[in-house]
Amino acid sequence: MILAGVDFRLRRGERVAILGPSGTGKSTLVQHLYQRLKSEAALCAQSQGLVEGLSLYHNIYMGALARHNSVYNLFNLLYPFKKNRLEVTELCRQLELDSPLATQVGRLSGGQRQRVALGRALYQEQPVFIGDEPFSALDPAMGQRLLELVFSRHATVVMVLHDKQLALNNFDRILGLKAGRVAFDLPSAEVDAAMLAEFYTGMEAPPRITPHDPLPLHG
Amino acid sequence: MFAKTVVSKAVPYALGYWQKMTIGLWLLACGCFMLADTEVIALEPWSELGHMLLGVLQPDFFATEYLLEALWQTVSFALLGVCAGLLWGAPLALVYHKPWVAAFCAFIRAIHEIFWALLFLQLFGLSPVTGILAIALPFGATFARVFHDIISLAPADTGQNLPAGTDMLSRYVFGRIVHVSGQLQAYIRYRFECALRSSAVLGFVGMPTLGFYLESAFKQGQYHQGGALLILFVLLIGSISYWCRARLLPLYLLLALVFLPELPAIDGHLIWRFLSQDIWPPMLQGVSHLEQLDLQRLNALGSWLFTLLEKQALPGIFATLILALVALAMTHVLTLLWLPLVSRKLRGKWTVFGGKAMLLVLRSLPEYLLAFVLMLLLGPSMLPAMLALALHNAALLIFLTTRQSDKLVVSAQFSPKLDNYFYEILPRLYPGVMALLFYRFEVILRETAIFGMLGIATLGFYIDSQFVEIRFAGALVLMCFTAMMNIGVDALGRKILKGQKVPLLGC
Repeated sequence: MILAGVDFRLRRGERVAILGPSGTGKSTLVQHLYQRLKSEAALCAQSQGLVEGLSLYHNIYMGALARHNSVYNLFNLLYPFKKNRLEVTELCRQLELDSPLATQVGRLSGGQRQRVALGRALYQEQPVFIGDEPFSALDPAMGQRLLELVFSRHATVVMVLHDKQLALNNFDRILGLKAGRVAFDLPSAEVDAAMLAEFYTGMEAPPRITPHDPLPLHG
Repeated sequence: MFAKTVVSKAVPYALGYWQKMTIGLWLLACGCFMLADTEVIALEPWSELGHMLLGVLQPDFFATEYLLEALWQTVSFALLGVCAGLLWGAPLALVYHKPWVAAFCAFIRAIHEIFWALLFLQLFGLSPVTGILAIALPFGATFARVFHDIISLAPADTGQNLPAGTDMLSRYVFGRIVHVSGQLQAYIRYRFECALRSSAVLGFVGMPTLGFYLESAFKQGQYHQGGALLILFVLLIGSISYWCRARLLPLYLLLALVFLPELPAIDGHLIWRFLSQDIWPPMLQGVSHLEQLDLQRLNALGSWLFTLLEKQALPGIFATLILALVALAMTHVLTLLWLPLVSRKLRGKWTVFGGKAMLLVLRSLPEYLLAFVLMLLLGPSMLPAMLALALHNAALLIFLTTRQSDKLVVSAQFSPKLDNYFYEILPRLYPGVMALLFYRFEVILRETAIFGMLGIATLGFYIDSQFVEIRFAGALVLMCFTAMMNIGVDALGRKILKGQKVPLLGC
């Protein structure tokens, strides 16, 4: 699916954050981008696609599937090679995942699972990183640290974020999507908090509450 | 302000899908039951049954030196058969979506192990090859189908997240198979249990497994010995989870290969003779050139086929379908009645334990033996076969369903009464039970074959008689009819169950 109102060009070495309310086509845009850049990009999708019954190690190793032939991959499934084990151990240390490599992913918490999915994308070792809310289940400080990890390993980064501050502080360029259209596409220096606040609230007519209607519980 | 009370007109209540299905099944089975031969002939069997019971209560484990050997042969045929089946069936699962592969597998699967064994007996004699192939062929075809079904249900999102450029095989294994490897293993373990039963049953046609010694013990009235064999067999199946460990399997396989009975030299001449002469209809034997196929021979062939169809195939199919349909409905009723008796939600620990022990015995015993005993009680008719099939299959269905039902979470107002059971638990289990039941129908159809050996005029009976009379061509034609009937029923079943999610454990 291609979004009608989006004209998006990505330059090499650029860091772009995509912001926007839910349901405006951010994930679609990211998927589309990935289809275009497949051969040199790693995708960390919102549907993590982790395999519950498989170990933490194997779930991260899956990122390296394309680098090896199938015999190597199948052997690794039965018994992990030392080289890969060391690489994944180091990656886990950076991702602050301290569970043993053999832990089944089904036993991990939401935040840990998200880092495993991130680890798998990093382990693809591609020049371009495309992420779809890869830190949504993490606290902001850890999000900041892991974002730096992503930057250190990828020259070009495109990321859907819901943490506005994280986007403003770290990215070169910010793309605001609303209702399937680009609302703004600016260098992050030209975007400020007030503008973003208006971007998020100004999209809908204010809810009409008549005196007889029950009050909305959660707004 | 109050709304006006409106007395609504009686709106006709539309029956739901499962209600229609249930009532339809029962009506159909009642109709079939009228047509079936179910006359009870009281035979005064009590003294014979008394002896049998005594034999089971006082088993003589030292009556025969073959006891351990028979047990080992049973396990070894089952093990090798399942492995060979996996070797050819598992890869076919990857291409099972192609219609011709599915049809080929359905054909292989539709023919009972016993008939494969009867066929291979002509080729290889009483060699282990006969027993192993007889298990490996139908089991491989079943693996192909069920593995395909299981794998197709694996979530697809892992595959979408794999790096681009991953090779096909790795993509398949890491993206799909690892998701369902637990299910696949459970299914293989379950099929191994089935293979043990099949392996034992192969003894009835002369293979050196438990069935052979069981049959001779029972036929000669040596019930103490027969009782010992029966108890060992039930224990063997009941304890599978203790001795059949993944780590031990390579060891067992090695042992099975090392201690395989000696393979008699395969006589190529005999096999050639069988293929070039024996399996052709009588009027075609000795025809070596197409020119010899004159009108007279073709006429003879036509009338031979017609007689076979009229006198054996059609009556056989009719009897088989009737027997299987009634057995299906009986299984259904028995399952519904029995299920609450072994539910942890309803009964105490010990009642459930006793009920489950009985289930184990009933599902371990080959239907053939159940029917054999019931025939002593009720006389020779279809009734003992129906009951035997229903008991065995209901036991299996309940075994598979209780594992699910004990995990269900019930509402706070649940009290251990039948009403609550039928309103709260059964509705949630019912689609699964029904799907399993229809899945079992294919198996019931196949199993009617062995009742032919007991003299019930199913297709199996006619095939068996053709083999006994050394008319291989007739046997082959009837086997093809059996396979086509099973494929037809399978296709019909899929149509009926279309859109219903079918759970994948079945036999």
